[in-house]
Amino acid sequence: MAVAEPKGRSLVRGASRPAGGLLLRSASLSYLGVMVLLPLVALGYESTLPGTAAFLKALSDPFARHALWLTFVTAAAMVVINAVTGTATAWVLVRYPFPGKGFVNALIDLPFAVPTVVTGLMLVALYGPTSVLGAFLDRNGWGIIYQKPGIILALLFVTYPFVVRSVQPVLLEMDRAEEEAAVTLGASPFTVFRRITLPTLWPAILTGTALSFSRALGEFGSVVMVAGNRPLETKTGPMYIFGEIESGNRHGAMVVSVVLLACSLGVLVVLNRLQRRGGEPGHGR
Amino acid sequence: MTRGGRSWGGAGLLAALVLYALPGCAPGFGAGTAGSTDTLTIGAYSVVREAFHEAILPAFAKHWKATTGRSVRFEESYAASGAQSRAIASGFDADVAVLSLEGDVSRLVKAGLVKKSWKDGPHKGMITRSLVVVGVREGNPKHVRGWDDLARPDVSVLYPDPKTSGGARWNINAIYGAGLLKDKPTGGKPDKQAGRDLLARVQTRVVNMDASGRQSMATFERGTGDAVVTYENELLLQRKMTGKEAPYVVPPATLLIEGPAAVVDASVARHGNRELAEAFLAFLRTEEAQRILASYGFRPLDPKLDPPGRDPLPPRLFTMADLGGWTKVNAEVYDPGGVWDSLFTDRPKAAGRGR
Amino acid sequence: MAVDVATQAPPAVPRRPTPNAWGRRLLTAAVLGWFALLILVPTLALVRGAFSGGLAPFWQALSSPDALRAFRLTIGITLVATALNTVFGLAFAVVLVRHRFWGKTLADGLVDLPFAVSPIIAGLMLVILYGPQGWIGRWLESAGVRVVYAWPGMALATAFVTLPFVVREVVPVLREFGVEQEEVSYTLGAGRWTTFWRVTLPSVRWGLAYGVTLTVARSLGEFGALLVVSGNILGRTQTATLYVHDGIESFNTEGAYAASVLLAGVSFVLLIGMETLRKRVEARERPE
Repeated sequence: MAVAEPKGRSLVRGASRPAGGLLLRSASLSYLGVMVLLPLVALGYESTLPGTAAFLKALSDPFARHALWLTFVTAAAMVVINAVTGTATAWVLVRYPFPGKGFVNALIDLPFAVPTVVTGLMLVALYGPTSVLGAFLDRNGWGIIYQKPGIILALLFVTYPFVVRSVQPVLLEMDRAEEEAAVTLGASPFTVFRRITLPTLWPAILTGTALSFSRALGEFGSVVMVAGNRPLETKTGPMYIFGEIESGNRHGAMVVSVVLLACSLGVLVVLNRLQRRGGEPGHGR
Repeated sequence: MTRGGRSWGGAGLLAALVLYALPGCAPGFGAGTAGSTDTLTIGAYSVVREAFHEAILPAFAKHWKATTGRSVRFEESYAASGAQSRAIASGFDADVAVLSLEGDVSRLVKAGLVKKSWKDGPHKGMITRSLVVVGVREGNPKHVRGWDDLARPDVSVLYPDPKTSGGARWNINAIYGAGLLKDKPTGGKPDKQAGRDLLARVQTRVVNMDASGRQSMATFERGTGDAVVTYENELLLQRKMTGKEAPYVVPPATLLIEGPAAVVDASVARHGNRELAEAFLAFLRTEEAQRILASYGFRPLDPKLDPPGRDPLPPRLFTMADLGGWTKVNAEVYDPGGVWDSLFTDRPKAAGRGR
Repeated sequence: MAVDVATQAPPAVPRRPTPNAWGRRLLTAAVLGWFALLILVPTLALVRGAFSGGLAPFWQALSSPDALRAFRLTIGITLVATALNTVFGLAFAVVLVRHRFWGKTLADGLVDLPFAVSPIIAGLMLVILYGPQGWIGRWLESAGVRVVYAWPGMALATAFVTLPFVVREVVPVLREFGVEQEEVSYTLGAGRWTTFWRVTLPSVRWGLAYGVTLTVARSLGEFGALLVVSGNILGRTQTATLYVHDGIESFNTEGAYAASVLLAGVSFVLLIGMETLRKRVEARERPE
C-alpha cells in the first residue's frame, strides 16, 4: 500500500507541475486534514485532557483490560485460521478445476457486500441455540454463539475475502518454472509448496492477515449480536466502548479507543514498512 | 456509440437517484410550527414504541385537533432508555422525553434541559406502572416460580445490559431488591449481602445481555434461553402483537415499575411548542390514554382502570422508595466498583466461598 | 481486487499421475466445505428467511413507509459520501503519485486510517467534534446547524469510513500508467483539464470504477458509526441498516430480513456487475 515515487523521467520539465497543482494539493490535503487528522487529534486531546494518571486509571479498569485482551485474542485466533483457509482457498481457486468455480469466485466478495448488522443476525439464526446444530453444540459444551468462538466466527466471516484476494493475484502471476523444476527433480508437492511457493506468497499472506487483523480489532456490528455481551467474559473492545459511551463514561470509552486505534495503526504502519523494504509495489489492497 | 449511450444512461440513473434521495435529506431541524401543523418531537424508550406509534399519537392528534383545530405531526425516536437520555442530553432536540426510569430524567434535569418541577403533581411525573416479571416458555417446562429458580444450573436467563439500557436496571433492582428485602416479612432489616448474593447467582445463568429490553425480548422470542427477565407490559405486548401466548410468572417479591415522562424545556423553548408538549403530557394521564396504555400491557396509574384478567399484584411488591430511592441504589449498585461491577470482578472469590 | 480466474493459462507441464489427485480433491473439498459453512449457508439462510412467507410479504415489508424513508436516506447519504470521496480520491491520487511535498508519508498513512478505525470509534470522534458541545459543533449550533443527530453527521460518518477506497484503487493504476502519455498531451498543446479528462481519467477508469463500487457497497452497509451519531429518529435519521437493527428490536423480523437481503443484494450485484463489465470491455479491447 505504500506509494513509491513517480515512474519515468519528465520529458517536459515543469509542465507536469503546473501552478494549479498547488490548489489541488491544498484542497485535497485540507479535506484529508478535516476528515481524518482532526478527529484523530480531537480524540487524542480529549482522552488525555484529564491527565496521564486518569488515562492510566481508566486503562487499568478490569473491564477495559479484559475487553482489550479479548479483542486481541479473538483477532489473533481469527488471523491464524484465516491465513490457512484464505491461502488454501486462493490455491484451490487458482490451481484446481472444479464445477462452479466462477460462482464460488464471485461469492468470495460477499462479506464486503453484507452489512455487519445482518451478518450477526444470520450467524445467530444458523448456529445459535435455536438451530439444530447450535443446540447440539451447546448441549455438548461446544457452544459457538454467545460464547467466545462466536466472536471468532463473526470475525472470520467479515474478513474472509482479505487473505484470499491478497494471495490470488500473486498466485495467478507466479512463474511456475521453479515449481516445475522442483517437481522434475523429485520433490513432493508439499515440499514444493513449502520451499518454493510459500516464500513467494508470504508477503501477500502477510498483507491479507494484517488487514484482517486491523479490521477485526474494530469490528462491532456483527460481533455485538453474537458475543453475548457478558462483562469480563465476552465483551470485546468495541462493545465495551459502546457501553461506556451509552452509560456516560466517555473518558473510559476514549481511552480504550485510543489504545485500539494505536494498535490498528501500528499494524498498518508495520505492513507499509515491510512492503516498502521488500520492494513490493503497492498493490491495490 | 454504445459506450457513449451507456454513459448517458448511467448519468440519467444517477440524476434520478439524486432527485429521489435529496428531499429525504431535507433538513428537518428546527421543528416547530409551520402553517396549521404543529410538530412534536418525542424521545422515548423502545418499550412504548407500539403503544405510542399505533395508538397514543393518533389519539392525541385527534384530541389536539378537537381542542385547538390544529393538526400535529410527530417525529419519533425510540431507543434504549439510557441511550435516549444520553442523546437528549447531548443535543437531540426532543420536546417530550418518555423514559424508562426516573434516573434517566434526572440526567436531563442535571443537564439543565428539564425543570426540577417535573416531578411535582399527583403522579410524581409518572405515566405508567408495570411489574418486573419472568417470561417463560409455553407450559413453563422449567417450573420457574421466583428469582431463586433463575439461579438453577438447568435454567438459562436473558436480560439486557444495564450499561446501555436504563430499563435493565429495573430488572437488576428487582432481583437485588428481592434479596435485599427477604427478611422484611419477619421484620428484619435490608440485607445487602443477600441482595448481592441472589444477583450474583442469577447472573451466572445469563446467556446474553442485549443492548435493550426489547432486544432481549426479541432474542427470547427467537428461541434462546429458558427465562427472560422483563416487564409485564412487554410480554403482554408481545401477546398482542404476535398472537403468541407469551406466558410469564410474577415472582412473589418483585419491583413496581413506574415510567416517567417530562417536557424538555430547552427544546420546547427553541421550537415554540410548549403548549403542545404540556398538552401531550396531560393527555397521557387522561382516562382515554391510560386505557390505551393498559391495552398495550401497562398497568394504569389508577388501579381501577386495570383491565380484567390481569394478575393481582404480588404479596411482597416493593418500590424504589423501599430500596432507598434511585440515587442510593445507583450509587450502591451501578457506580464504578459497586455491586454490579463486583459481580464480575469478585467472581473467583465468590466461587472460593463455595457459592 | 476481485480476480478473474477463468482466463488463467493452462499448466505447462503434463499433469502428474493419480496419487496427487486425491490430495487435490481433499483440499478442494475442505475449502469448499469451509466456504459453504462460513459464507454460503448463512447467506442462503438469510435469503430463505426473507422470502419464507413468499414474495408478497417481502415486498410489503419493503414498502412500508418507514422502510421506504430509510432506504431513501441511505441512498442520499451514499450519494453524498461517494461524490465527496470520488472527487477527493481522484485529486489525492494524482497528488500522491505525481507530486512531491513535505509530509507526503504522513498524508499517505492518514488516508489508510479509516481502515484501522472501528466504526464505533469513528462515531465517537465525530460526536466529540461535531456534537452540540463539540469543538466545531458548538459554533455550528449557534449558527443553527445540527450535524450530529441529523443527516449531515451521518453523511460525514459514512464519508469517513469510505475515504480510502477510491484513493487506494486509483493510486496503483495511476502509478503504473506513468507520465509519458500525459506529457505527450501537453506537448500537443492540451491544457491541464483536457489532459486530465481525456488522458488520465480514462487510464484509471477501472481502478476508479472499482473504488467507487467499494465505496457504495460500504456506504450501504455502514452501521456502527451511524448507531452512535444518528439518534435513530424514525423517518429522519434512520438509515436502512438502522432500520434492520430496529426491526430486530421490534418484532419486525420480516422487515429486518427483507431490508437486509435488499442491501446485501444491491451491494453484491454492484460488485459482480462491475467485474463482469470490466471483463467484457477488456475482452473487447484486448486485440489492441
